[in-house]
Order: sequence, then structure tokens, then C-alpha cells
Amino acid sequence: MIPGGVQILNVGLPLIVEGAPAGAVLQLDWRPPAFGDADAARLAVGLDTEATRSANEKAIAAVQSTRGKLVAVRPAREVVPGIADGRVLLHAGPPIEVARMCGPMRGALIGAALFEEWAADPTEAAELIDSGAIRVEPCHHHGAVGPMAGVLAPSMPVFVVSEGESLGDGRSAFASLNEGLGKVLRFGAYDAEVITRLRWMRDILGPALDEALAVSGPIDVSSLIAQALAMGDEGHNRNVAATSLLTRRLAPIIAALTPNDRAVAVLRFLAGNDHFALNLSMANAKLAMDAAIGIEDSTLVTAMSRNGVEFGLRVAGSGDRWFTAEVGPADGLFFPGYGPEQANPDLGDSAITETLGLGGFAMAASPAITQFVGGTPADAIAATTSMRRITLGQHPAFPLPPMNFAGAPSGIDILKVLETGVLPVINTGIAHREAGVGQIGAGIVTAPPEVFLKAVRYLAEQRASR
Amino acid sequence: MTKNESANSVLSARLLPHLYRDSVALMRIASATEKRDGILRVGAVMATPANLGILADSGMLPGDLAASPDDLVFVVRGVDEQAVEDALDAAHGLLTVSETSAGAAAEQRPGTLREGIAAGEDAPATLAAISVSGTYAPIVAEQALRNGLHVFCFSDNVSVEDEVRLKRLALEQGLLMMGPDCGTAILDGVPLGFANVVRPGSVGIVAASGTGAQEISRLVHSAGGGVSQLIGVGGRDLSAEVDGMMTGLALDLLAEDVLTSVIVVVSKPPSSSVADRLIERLAATGKPAVACFLGLEDSDSATTGVRIRGTLEAGAIAACELDGHPLEFDDQRSDAVAEAVGGVLGLYTGGTLASEAKLILSRAGVRAEILDLGDDQYTAGKPHPMIDPVGRADRIAAAGYDPEVGVILIDLVLGFGAADDPATPVAEAVAVARERAAADGRALTVIGSVCGTEGDPQGLSRQRAILASAGVLLCPTNASAARLALASTSKENS
Repeated sequence: MIPGGVQILNVGLPLIVEGAPAGAVLQLDWRPPAFGDADAARLAVGLDTEATRSANEKAIAAVQSTRGKLVAVRPAREVVPGIADGRVLLHAGPPIEVARMCGPMRGALIGAALFEEWAADPTEAAELIDSGAIRVEPCHHHGAVGPMAGVLAPSMPVFVVSEGESLGDGRSAFASLNEGLGKVLRFGAYDAEVITRLRWMRDILGPALDEALAVSGPIDVSSLIAQALAMGDEGHNRNVAATSLLTRRLAPIIAALTPNDRAVAVLRFLAGNDHFALNLSMANAKLAMDAAIGIEDSTLVTAMSRNGVEFGLRVAGSGDRWFTAEVGPADGLFFPGYGPEQANPDLGDSAITETLGLGGFAMAASPAITQFVGGTPADAIAATTSMRRITLGQHPAFPLPPMNFAGAPSGIDILKVLETGVLPVINTGIAHREAGVGQIGAGIVTAPPEVFLKAVRYLAEQRASR
Repeated sequence: MTKNESANSVLSARLLPHLYRDSVALMRIASATEKRDGILRVGAVMATPANLGILADSGMLPGDLAASPDDLVFVVRGVDEQAVEDALDAAHGLLTVSETSAGAAAEQRPGTLREGIAAGEDAPATLAAISVSGTYAPIVAEQALRNGLHVFCFSDNVSVEDEVRLKRLALEQGLLMMGPDCGTAILDGVPLGFANVVRPGSVGIVAASGTGAQEISRLVHSAGGGVSQLIGVGGRDLSAEVDGMMTGLALDLLAEDVLTSVIVVVSKPPSSSVADRLIERLAATGKPAVACFLGLEDSDSATTGVRIRGTLEAGAIAACELDGHPLEFDDQRSDAVAEAVGGVLGLYTGGTLASEAKLILSRAGVRAEILDLGDDQYTAGKPHPMIDPVGRADRIAAAGYDPEVGVILIDLVLGFGAADDPATPVAEAVAVARERAAADGRALTVIGSVCGTEGDPQGLSRQRAILASAGVLLCPTNASAARLALASTSKENS
């Protein structure tokens, strides 16, 4: 009577199927869905339609077929849309009023205003920011991403990662250049040392890299990251392999730049900054995820980001809208002398890497930093395996050696997050809550459940009104 | 902070020359060591200028430390020398973890329907059995139906609105939505929920009543016949709201099912409009059919030939006759019963069995209290008495004190899903009850029937023997047990 025979998925008590042949039963390890919110679970099931499935197929195909190339390094005002005129600074995370910003973000904005010479001193800079004379907007609204405070000023050089072979050939995404560890703007420091370094990056580093790229031609970022994954990076918190690969690629060209002391300084800077390639990985992920923005009916996550107060989530089917919830500090390990009490709530656009399938999702690739997820390579593999439960597929460009070279789990589906109750795992640095102290640790955060519940409610409402 | 503590604390360092560990590994060691008693702060770093700078900034750098960037250094601040030394030893020990400490990554069991469907590539899933809380059952059922799975929904506390919605969705796709509150099914020989082990055969049963279907199926089996399919539809399917949606689909399936040559529908009496259409639909299957609607008068429909029967026993007799394996049994002789003083107390685990007993006794106008102990008002958060027999046993034992009770009438349901040995607690309780009654100078009669087959995991004859040895008078059917109870009280009345 039942074509295909009675093959049972058992959801609940094993005794219900105790009479059925063992081979005909698969017992599910079922948990209440949607973090215990039955109404949201209903809405999620209602969204699980053919329209959603085909929209998600389209969305993930658009994301995974994007192969970003590093084509140039230019001052932000020349390439980042919407910041050429007037006084505007970009920041990490979903939008936030100046009055609610956390210490490190406020410090970074002050530093950027000093760097741009819009203010003579920190007090004046703060006044300009508080009064609105300097506009602040999220990086994400301008095709850009920034780690930690993520503050991007128009004169800063940015990586230009494009779909095509050159600037202006197809879509582009942007990220600032990484300053290194210690006293840096992205952790809210703005003293003379910080501003001096930013000026050097503007005047020396940016132009040198751009010249080198003009000679080398576009660098395929996906392939750079794929190689780095095979060398123990995960594309977010460990970037030493990708940085080394990028440096190796450009070093012979940079070495030939004149005057020679400029070449030496640039190479010394690259050699001293293990995280230099992080921002490149982020711009590449941003380019890929933006390919799915606005695909109607899709439940694919296109951005996860934090501003130090709130966590923000964007979903393809709801376009530019942010779903936000309060964010806590990361659960992590601290540098000597620091502890959780000094940690700022989680911060930065860098979770765009997890959105694509790197970072916490590619943990299996990075034995060196597995301590963040419990300590052993087996735990790292378990972290990657659990992210498979909430993603739409494997990223073909990012094979993970310890997973038998299966692709990284890529493309978070909010419906799967609600069904499984598994939250995205994000690798992150931990900033001191006071501006300017810098990084005090690193660890993992999980996205807050509320943002996924809000997104499902909104999409269901939107669908019902059509 | 650290500086304030330095007055009454000890700071000490240990240098491990030319030893490299990744910073994350070192942070983890520091974090673990810091949890020790008497330890305030721990640093574990490669001694690069930057790291030494960080230690100095937080008051953790001993003045006399001479280290090069290739050296690993532990620094510990604690309450006394001993604690600090022990902590340095512990940190050092953590540098060499045993390889076996790596936990094997546990195989992830599928947790959701989607994962379950993906996992069953060789033998694709065709049915979801759902017994989770009623809050979530309709959500899981909807997802199952949307993925083309039949649903067996044991869960109750699902709203009738959800039931109607889900059954409509199922009908659109020609899928069975059995339940909510569906207790039993046997599909292509595979039992689900509470089901007896019956012979494969040609009687197809559609059941809006779980134990009703079990009683009929085991009687068909005892007559030598067998069951082709048993499709549960849930107790509300024949209500006006649900309008027999699943009964209709089940009948269509049985009409086409080559194994099925006789069809039985068993239910509480449906609303009359539903009943009339159902009987037409039964006739339209073209197969001999029995409508067993508890409480109706027995009759054969003149227009359609459908046999309408008002008890489970009569329904089973009609089905067996149509199937060519007549059901024959003898009632217990009423002179086997001691004279009963007092009324009949029915303590039932099967809801439809209780209804049938109530019906037979009330038709005879006998004073009886028949309790369905599986009803929500008695279970209240406890397992169903078919699963956990203890609650009913307590009630049987307690009835021994009650001078109003002369006869206890019981059922005993065997099969999959039921308790491993339901007879023993009942037998023990019967012995206690009879002792209590005897102490009060009363006789207590206990009458019952066992709904089971020899093939059931509990074994019919074993369970019957346990009850018989406790003095329970055993009848071949539930109806016949009710009649014996009737006879014993009639004797008293006459």
C-alpha cells in the first residue's frame, strides 16, 4: 500500500516503533525547534516551500560562484561609493546612534577624525561626531567591511576586491588595511603613534601595494584562501598562512620599488603582521555575500556583524534590512593580565567570513587554534560538522583537508538554524572595553537566537502580505 | 588591579629555553592554571618583546627575567610560594598532553526531519512517526507532509483547527495523516504505536479508535483470519469538523489494496451526516464491509449491504464471517460466578474497551462505574496505564476496601507499546483486594479479558495464566466479560 515500503523517521518515543523492523526505523535526535518558540517554528515551517528552496538554490549559486580578485589598493574616497563628499566615517556592525556606541568604536571615530585633520584634538573630534557634523554610517551600507571598530575614513587605502579583472569590471567590495596588533585604531586607540602609522599606511603602504598589484596583475583571493586553508588558516582568526602567501607573491615586485627604504619598510610591515590578510578575506566574503542580497524568498544569511552593542543579521530575502539583538562578550582566552571583566561586547564586521563559510565554520582546517573550541583537532572537526547542519552546501573553492577535502560548510539558512537550534559559531578577537587598550584575548561567540527569530517573523509577515 | 595585590602576593617565573608553542595553546594553559586555588594571575607566552611588554603593563614581569624571543615563559602570581611553585609545575605539565585525551568526534545523529530524509538515501523515508509534545507535533507533521511523508501522529493536545489544516494538506498530496491522537496502525505488516502481533490476512481496518481496532484485529486473528492493513485516523476524524477526511482516504487506499478483501471501520458513533456518507463510501469500495460504530443498533444496511454493528465483538464477528473464518467462542457460564454483593467497578486501560463495557452494562440498566484510566483526567502527566500498570493496580487494591464494589471488571492490553508484563501487578493487586474484602466478610469477583495474541511480546497464554492464578475470571472478549459482570449482578438482583 505504501510505495517504497514503510521507512520510518521516528520523532519522539522509541516505543512507538518498537514493533517495526530495526532496518525500517531511523530514530531522530529531535529537539524542540526555534529555541523553544513554537510560534516561530510554525512560521519557519510555513516558509519552507518550493519557492524558498529554489530561491536558496539561486542565492547560494550566486554566492559560491563569486571569485573575488584583489585588483587594486586605493584611497577609500576614490572607490568606496557614497563617501567622496563631505565628512563621513564608516563603522562596523549594524547602524547605531553615536550616543550608544561602545568605547573602542568611539575612540576609533575620534582617531579617524584626527587622521583626516577634521579636528585639531580629541575633544573637538568628539564634538563633531556627537553633533552630527561628521556623519557615521555602517561599512556594510557602502560595500565595505572592517574588523573590530571597523572605522574607515575616506583617505585610508582599501583593498579593492572585484568580480572582474580590474577596477570597475563588475561589482567590487572593500576593506581597510590591517594595522597589526597592539595600539591600533580598530581597538579604539588614537594617540600619535596610531595616527602616525595610519599616515604611513596612507602615504607609503597603500601606494606601494597598488603599484605592486599593477605589475603582478589581479590576485585570485579564493585560491589564496584555499591554499591557506591547506596550511592551517581558517580565514578569520588565523591568517599567518594567507599573509605569507600574499607577501611571497608581492615581495619580488615590492623589493624592486624605489626608493629602496620604502620597499624595506613595506616588507617589514607585512612580515610583522600575522593578520594582514584578514581584511582581504573579509572583502572577498563581502563581495560573495552581496551577490545574494535581495533575492526574493531566500532565507540565506548575507551578513552577520556586530557594533559592540548589537549583533546584526541580514537575510537575502529581506534585502538591506537588519535584524538586531544585544550582543555579549566572546567566550574566550585572555592575554596575560586580562580577564572577562575587561572585555568589550563583541565587535566587528569580520563575521562576514563565517557568513561565507570560513572562520568558525572552517575550524577543522586550523589545528593550531582549536583550543578556542575545546582543545583538540577532534573538537575542531566537530565544530565544522555541526555547521553543516545549518548551511546550504559545501563551498567548492574551500576544501578542508581534515574533512577529506570536503568543502567548507557555506551559506547559513535561517530555517535550518531554527530547525536545529544550532547557532553559527564565530571566531573573534576580544577588545578591551576602554578605547585604545587594544586586543586582550580571542575566542568564540555564537550569534544570538533572537536575530534569527526576528528574521523568520519578518519574512513570514512579508510573505503573507503578498 | 594586579599592582594592588602585589603587596601580599608572590610573583614567580619559569623559563623554558628554545621551546615553541602556539599562543592559543599557551593562553589555554594560562587559563587552566589560573583556576587553581591560591593563584591570582598566570601568563604563558613566547618571550617576544611585545609579549614581555604586555606582561610588564599588567605587573606580571619579574624584574630579573632574562629571556629571548624563542623562549617560552610562565609567570604566576599567587598567594604564597608553594601555590606559585605548584602552579608552575602544573602549567609545565600541561605542555605535554597525552594523545589519548583527544575525544573522538561523535557521529552526529540526524536531529531534524530534513536531516533524517537526507540520511536515508538507500531506503528513502516514507513515513514520520510523531510522539513529541502537542505544541510541536503539528509543526513536525506539517513539515513531514510537505516533504511527501505519511504521518503517524501519536501526540495529542493538538487543536482541531490544526488537525483540519494538516489533513487537508495531506489529502492534497494523497498522504495519510494518521492522528493526532492515533494509537495504532499496521501498514504493510509494520506495526506502529500500540499494536498486537496478528497474522497477515485480508481484513482491512480503518480505526478512529485505538483499542477498538486492537480488539477487532486480535479477534480476527484468534478466528484464524488475518489483517491486511490497520489504518488509524485519530479519534476526531469522524467529527463534523474533520468530516472523515482521513477515513475517506483510508477507504480509497483499502479499496485499491489487493491484499484487502473485507473492510471494517471502527469508531465511536459519528455525526449522522458523516455516518451516512461514510456508509455510502464503504459500499462504493465494492468490498464487503462492516461499519462498527459503538452504540448503534446492529443492522444490515438494506440499500448498501454494509453491516452496521454497535459493539466491537459484533463488529469482529461480522468481519470474521465475511472473511470466511467464523469467530466462535463460548461465554463463561454465569454459574461460575460467586454471588456478587455490590456494584460493578470497571478499571480500564483501553478507552474503547471501557466504552463497550459501559454500553453493555447500561443497556441492561445495571449500576456500574466504568473508568477509562487512560483519560487525561486520570493520567495527568503520568504515562498511559497501558505503558505503566502501577496506577491501575493501586486502584484495584484500594477497591478491596469499598463495600459498594462487588465486581471489578478489567481489560488487559498486550502487544507492542504496552508494558512488558502487565498481568503481574494486576494479579498482585487482585490478591490484595480480595484479602481486604474477605477481612470485611465480603466476596469480591474480578472479571476480565485479555486483548492480545500468542505472538505478542508478552505472550497471551502466559498473561492469562498469571491473571487466572489470582482468581480473575477470564472471558474470550471484552463484551463477554461485561456480560458475565452483568450476570453476576443480575444474580444478586434476582
